[in-house]
Amino acid sequence: MKEILKISGLHAVIAGTDKEILKGIDLTINEGEVHAVMGPNGAGKSTLSSVLTGKPQYEVTAGSITYMGKDLLVMSPEERSWAGIFMSFQYPVEIPGVSIQNFMKTAINCKREAEGLGDISGAEFLKLMREKMALVHMKPDFAKREVNVGFSGGEKKKNEIFQMAMLDPSLSILDETDSGLDVDALRIVAEGVNTLKTPQKSTIVITHYQRLLEMIVPDVVHILKDGKIVCTGGRELVGRIEAEGYDSF
Amino acid sequence: MILFSGSGIIASGDSLHQEIRLDAGQAMDLVLVALGGGQAVFDVEIAGAGADINLRGLYLCGGNDRLDIKVNMRHSVGESRSNQLFRGIMTGEARARFDGRIVVAPDAQKTEAYQINQNLQLSDDAVVETLPQLEIYADDVKCSHGATVGNLNLDEQFYMRSRGVSLEEARRLQMISFLAPVMEGLPEDVKEQVYAAIR
Repeated sequence: MKEILKISGLHAVIAGTDKEILKGIDLTINEGEVHAVMGPNGAGKSTLSSVLTGKPQYEVTAGSITYMGKDLLVMSPEERSWAGIFMSFQYPVEIPGVSIQNFMKTAINCKREAEGLGDISGAEFLKLMREKMALVHMKPDFAKREVNVGFSGGEKKKNEIFQMAMLDPSLSILDETDSGLDVDALRIVAEGVNTLKTPQKSTIVITHYQRLLEMIVPDVVHILKDGKIVCTGGRELVGRIEAEGYDSF
Repeated sequence: MILFSGSGIIASGDSLHQEIRLDAGQAMDLVLVALGGGQAVFDVEIAGAGADINLRGLYLCGGNDRLDIKVNMRHSVGESRSNQLFRGIMTGEARARFDGRIVVAPDAQKTEAYQINQNLQLSDDAVVETLPQLEIYADDVKCSHGATVGNLNLDEQFYMRSRGVSLEEARRLQMISFLAPVMEGLPEDVKEQVYAAIR
């Protein structure tokens, strides 16, 4: 099977400090696989997703990450996006005065420019927007709204999945996408993710609850604790965590 | 510099001096757009109850631009309202000075007067001097003022970059976002001019 992501001996600190959050992570993801990363608060789950997407507030001190054969750590956040990595944020950021339409058009045209293509045509863009908005049950006026401004928790997460659909990533990272969602919003988000899934696309689901993993079923489950993966197994691990908690690992 | 009232231009030039008087019940909405240096002085006298002025301004200064904005907001009669919002982006070796004074006369009770001046300082050599002043001689009023000088928010920037927006474009969108509350209601061609100046 084709290897998409390989993390080896990864150590990371908060930039400019000695505070080590990731203490030696090894993780390999193949094409088409869904991996769950579970763990208690403060285990380093969000740091892992931040390091994968190149957030400048973290610094890798040892180890490597290879994505589709390339050294991910030398790539800027936007280059990683262009290469097909997407993260759904736990706390999506509000951008007042910038419409979702303008934001997405800018994102798509930046990628096209990097690929040596011209801007997307207005008609093609609108068609794409309409198609992807329907996927997460967004009303037409959604495109005109300012990015995440005044959105409910559910709307913010739906907006994340909408953007994921627009950008069509090869590796999606869902960082605590279930936090703050009611059952209906969770179902729409999970259905969106499952609809977008193809045998070529891989997914990392970061969560501390079982709920989301009943709808987005993982092939592999990792338990992250104190900056290390302490256990890797199949989906049966999810049930064990629910029954015994993280203390038993 | 261009000064708008509603959607029409009421003044333009490198040096503007506006003497404005609002009588009872009068309302006014003014927006100053300064793409570069110059001098703008607003002498506002609020002389009647129920008068309401909304004064906004944006400035983009770069290179060796020198900008001077002075606002004198005098509430001579109470039960009146003024609201000021000035936002500026400073690059290069530009210098800007915002001198804003609100005076509430002794009998001007129930006055509401607000003033905010916020700046993005995007180069170490740019200088912005902000001097908000309140002189209140009445005791039953609602007044506030504030000034900030900051930089672009990195979390916002990272969010956009993670979606494939290049650093350069992300910064541009952040500047548009910062100026948006001032630009609300301006004609589209003026917004386009501002966007072009940000590029």
